[in-house]
Amino acid sequence: MIGTLILVVCCLLSTERLIIHAPRPGRLRTPDLITLRSDQRFAQLKAVLPTTGVLGYVEAPGTVNAAHYYLAQYALAPLVVDYSPQHALVVGNFFADSPPDLSPNLLLIKDFGDGVLLLANKDVR
Amino acid sequence: MAVALAAFLCFASGFALVSLFSSGTVPDASAVLFNLTLSAGFGLGIFSLAFFLARIFAISNIIAVDAAVLVCLIAALLLARNASASTNLLMFSPGADEQWPRWLRRILVAATSLALCGALYAAIMQALAHPQGGGWDAFAIWNLHARFLFLAGSHWRDGFSSLIPWSHPDYPLLVPAAIANFWTFIGHDDPHVPAAVGLLLTFAAVGLLFSSLSMLRGRVAAMLASLTLLATPFFIEQGTWQYADIPLAFFFLATIALLAVSDEQSLARGSSSSGFLALAGITAGFAGWTKNEGVLFVCGIILARQIVFLRAGRKRSEINPSFHRHSSAFLLGCAPVILLIIYCKHRLAPPGDLFTSPASMLHRLLEPFRFEIVVKAFLRRFFSFGGWLGIPGTVLLLAFYFIVGRGQRRGLPAGHRASILALFLTFIGYFCVYLITPYDLFWHLRFSLDRLFLQLWPSTVFLFFLLITPQKLPLSSNVSR
Repeated sequence: MIGTLILVVCCLLSTERLIIHAPRPGRLRTPDLITLRSDQRFAQLKAVLPTTGVLGYVEAPGTVNAAHYYLAQYALAPLVVDYSPQHALVVGNFFADSPPDLSPNLLLIKDFGDGVLLLANKDVR
Repeated sequence: MAVALAAFLCFASGFALVSLFSSGTVPDASAVLFNLTLSAGFGLGIFSLAFFLARIFAISNIIAVDAAVLVCLIAALLLARNASASTNLLMFSPGADEQWPRWLRRILVAATSLALCGALYAAIMQALAHPQGGGWDAFAIWNLHARFLFLAGSHWRDGFSSLIPWSHPDYPLLVPAAIANFWTFIGHDDPHVPAAVGLLLTFAAVGLLFSSLSMLRGRVAAMLASLTLLATPFFIEQGTWQYADIPLAFFFLATIALLAVSDEQSLARGSSSSGFLALAGITAGFAGWTKNEGVLFVCGIILARQIVFLRAGRKRSEINPSFHRHSSAFLLGCAPVILLIIYCKHRLAPPGDLFTSPASMLHRLLEPFRFEIVVKAFLRRFFSFGGWLGIPGTVLLLAFYFIVGRGQRRGLPAGHRASILALFLTFIGYFCVYLITPYDLFWHLRFSLDRLFLQLWPSTVFLFFLLITPQKLPLSSNVSR
C-alpha cells in the first residue's frame, strides 16, 4: 500500500513538472514557425526552378551552419540540394545585408532578397 | 472534409484489419479500447504501405488505392466472420481489483485522470508552440522524406539521394509515407499532419497500455502503469517533436501486448488462435518499417521466442503443443513488411551510415575504453531517464518492485520470459551499435541514448506491471457469439 502511494505521489509530482514546463498560453501568440519562415524565404526561388533535379549550395565562408542547409533543403524539396557548388545551378544562402564576395566561377543569376541568391557555376555545364 | 475522409479511411482500415484477426471480440470496455488504440497504429501502418506501394507501382490515384484497401479488408472480414463461429478473446474475471481497498482505487482513478489531463495539456501546448516539431530531425529527416514522397511525383526516389547528408535516406518510411498519404487528401503539405500523427500515437500508446493491462491484470495495474507513462515528461514531450521514436515505441508495445494477450489466453485455455500472433507479427513488421531499431526488435522477438519456447519444450505443461503453428502465424504476419524493408534497403536506399566498414567496426568493438564509456553513459541515463522530478521512473519502478512486487514473485510463463528476453536483446543491440558507431561516441550518446531508452519504456512499464500483479482468473474458457 505504502509503495503504491509513493509511486502515485512521485508520478503526480512529475506531472506537475510537466505542466509547469509546458509553454504558457501567452507563448502561443508567437509560435516557433522556423520551417514556415524558411519556406517563405525560399518560395520565390522555388517558383523559378525546375520541379526536380539537383542544385548546388553555398553559404558565406565562416558562417557555415548545418541548420541553415537543412532548412534550405526542406524548403526546396523535392529538389535535391547538394552541399557543394559543383552544379550548374547553385543556391546562395546568405544572411548578411549584402551578398559576400562570391567565388569567381559563380555568376549571379538573380537576387531574391533576404540573402537568397540563384547562382550559375560557369565551370559546370 | 478531406481530412475527415482521410482519417476515416485510415482508422477504418486499421479497425478492419484488427477485427479480421481478433474476430468476435466481446463488448468489454477494455477490449473495445484495446481494439481502438491498436486500430490507430494499424491504420497508419496500412496508410503508409498503401502510399508507398502506390508510388512503387506508379499509381497516381492514391485515394482510390486507400479506398480499395479498405473494401478488400471489409470483404475479408465478412468472409472470415461467415467462416468462423467462435470468438478468439477470452474474458478474465473482474475480481482481481477486489484485493485493493476502495479508497486506494479512488485515489488511483483521481491521480490517473489528473495525470492524463496534465499530459494532454502539456502535449497540446507544446504542439501549438512548436507546430513544426521540436528539433532538427523533424525537418531534416522525417518531414523531409514525407515531402519527397508527396511532392516529387514520379521522381519520389530522389528522396533516397545520398547527396543529402544526414537525412538518413536508409531510414524506413512508415511515418513519412503515412503523412504523405494524408497530404494527398488535403492537397498540400500541411504541417499539422505530422503533429497530429505524433500526438495520436503518444496517447494511443497510453490507451493501449491501459487497456491491455486492464484485460490481463485488472484496472489497478492498468492505472498504475498508465500513470507511470503519463508522468514521464520526456515521453509526452517527444510525442510532439515529430520524430519516429514514439511511433516505434507504440509498435514495440503493441507487439509485446498482443503476444501477452495471446500467451495468457493460450495458458488459460490450453489452446489459442493464431489471430493475435499474426497481429503481433504485423506490428513487429511495422516497427521495422518505422525505424532501423525496429528491425533489431523483430530479430530479438523471433530469437527470444525460439530460445525460450524450445527450452520450455522440456516441460510440456508450459508450452502449447501448437507452438510451431503459432510461430508461423507471427512470422507470416511480419513477413510482408519485412520483405518490403529488404526491397527498400537493397533497391532504393544507399547503405546506412553505421555499418560501412566491417574492419573498422571490429576494431572499434575491441577497444575497451569505448565499452567503458558506453557502460557509464547507460548507467547515468538509467538514473536520470525521463525528465522526472526527483526520482526517475526507472529507479521508482525498481523501488516499487522491492516494496510491492517481490511478494508476488512466481514462475513466469514462457511467453512473458520471451518478451523480457526480446527487450533485453534489443537493449544489448543498442549497446553494441554504440560500440561500433563511426561517429564521435560522446556526441552520438548525447543526442540519441535518451530516445533509445524511450523506445523501450512503454513496453518495459507494461511487462513490469504484468509480472508483478497477480494473474486474473479466466471468466469462461469459450465465449460464443
